[in-house]
Amino acid sequence: MKNNRFVYTILTPIFICMIVFTLLPILIGLGVSLFDYDPLAVNSPFVGLDNFKKLVSDDVFLVALKNTVVFVLVTVTLNIILALLIAQAISSMRSNKTRSFMRVIFFMPIVAPLAASSIVWKVMYANKYGLFNNILSSMGLPTHNWLGDPAWLLPAIILFTIWADIGYNIIIFSAGMDGIPQDFMDAAAIDGAGPLRRFFFITLPLLGRTTAFVITMTLISHFQMFAQFEIMGRSAGSPGGGGPNNVGMVLTLEIYKEAFKYKNMGYASAIALVLFLIILVVTVISQRISRTDWRY
Amino acid sequence: MIHRKKITPFHVLGMLVAAVVVFAVVMPYIWMLLTSFKTTPEIMKNPDKILPISWSISGYIKVLTRSPFFQWFTNSLVVAASVTLLVLLTSSLTGYIFAKYRFPLKNLLFWLILASMMVPFSVTMIPNFLIINTLGLYDSLAALIVPMMVSGFGIFLCRQFCEDIPDSICEAAKIDGAGDLRIYFTIILPLLRPCLAALAIFTFLESWNDYLRPLIMLEKVDSMTLPVALSFFSTQHGNDLSATMSAAALVMLPVTILFLVFQKHFIKGIALTGGK
Repeated sequence: MKNNRFVYTILTPIFICMIVFTLLPILIGLGVSLFDYDPLAVNSPFVGLDNFKKLVSDDVFLVALKNTVVFVLVTVTLNIILALLIAQAISSMRSNKTRSFMRVIFFMPIVAPLAASSIVWKVMYANKYGLFNNILSSMGLPTHNWLGDPAWLLPAIILFTIWADIGYNIIIFSAGMDGIPQDFMDAAAIDGAGPLRRFFFITLPLLGRTTAFVITMTLISHFQMFAQFEIMGRSAGSPGGGGPNNVGMVLTLEIYKEAFKYKNMGYASAIALVLFLIILVVTVISQRISRTDWRY
Repeated sequence: MIHRKKITPFHVLGMLVAAVVVFAVVMPYIWMLLTSFKTTPEIMKNPDKILPISWSISGYIKVLTRSPFFQWFTNSLVVAASVTLLVLLTSSLTGYIFAKYRFPLKNLLFWLILASMMVPFSVTMIPNFLIINTLGLYDSLAALIVPMMVSGFGIFLCRQFCEDIPDSICEAAKIDGAGDLRIYFTIILPLLRPCLAALAIFTFLESWNDYLRPLIMLEKVDSMTLPVALSFFSTQHGNDLSATMSAAALVMLPVTILFLVFQKHFIKGIALTGGK
């Protein structure tokens, strides 16, 4: 159909809104990163690429970068493997009711605000009154100051994030597995393939495109995790989150702190651009690597 | 006759593992609720008791009387409901236009929509703050609604569904004299219902649960939405575990109950759209 007047009357406000709040900000971000920009200061001098040069010698940025990469790699890997296993376990259950019950249970944490479940888990991890230490000490095992100990902070946040976020992937994998024709499984079973071989040689390859999609989406979302690092890393010593001496700092939190706590918006914009670049590169690579041609 | 398979030890083991895993997943909820019904001195004195010795709702009373909880709840509801309605409207209209109309610059504009889907908020939060400030929307609920009115994901989803609607239906309506908007309201919208239901669920949840944007855009305690308000409350009352857990329960339970009631639609929605 054709009616340019109708089309443009509707699209103009919609595109203005989209450009102002998503595309224009990238350009503004690029611009701001070249200034020593502080919204409260009288003047904000142009500093060229100085903000980017400063990054290389900024210890907090380097820790945040390292933590982000470690957190994303470990969490996403564990998330995908566990989600595949759990989805497979669910789809092999016999009764329909049990299957949907299991899906509901695993999906429950997704609907709660991450900030709220972070607070609940923070109290569960608490040194004296927390659930984890109670269980450990009642079994006679050594307890830990989970969120106060640099060695345990990141693992504790990783465990929480997997709990909070795995439901999506389980549902998507499960839907993908339900879409695989039963004939394939029956044929393989007749040929003598056990459940393990059926999983590795039929289910996994046929889920290729679903897996590629899931990996990319999970990577993108995990690079931006914020609430748990701000809330669980918050203590008397680090009121802004990020753990004692910034051992639990990640890039998103670092951008937020630099920009809104210390008002270094130029420097924070430089970090934001680095994060954008990382996300862009990782997205492209994960799309390339996981591209498969299996179809059914 | 129903043929029943024999239950082997393998199945029993599987069921045991499943039960343990299910228990581990719901444990934080159970623990949150049990703790919220204890008093704070009791939590301190008997950390090893799982069940409350004497059930108490003092934590809940403290949250509801010492904080503007209803104000926070209303703020969250106003923001999430407005964003959801606006996103449904803009997404379905734009999706309809991209699926059914030919117009200049169509490909370029669609590419812009796809590009906008790739831009993460954590990257654009500083410019977004500056723009909101310039527009004079800082510290108002509009700062959370206006930037979220248009969703690239929503447009993309609606366009996919609109393309499945045969062109001939629209053409026929046009010949019968229906205008562009009439076709949208009487033909497109009703046929988009499953897609819009899924989109509504995601949009509402995303807005209701959002933490970073309201953290940046809001300042006054009275204008906070629930997740930020809860985080604020928990630092204000850091030593009062009972009140903190009660507040967390009051924030988590409404969405969880809503989910349990509409769980079929949720899960169908994820499978339908591939999640977000």
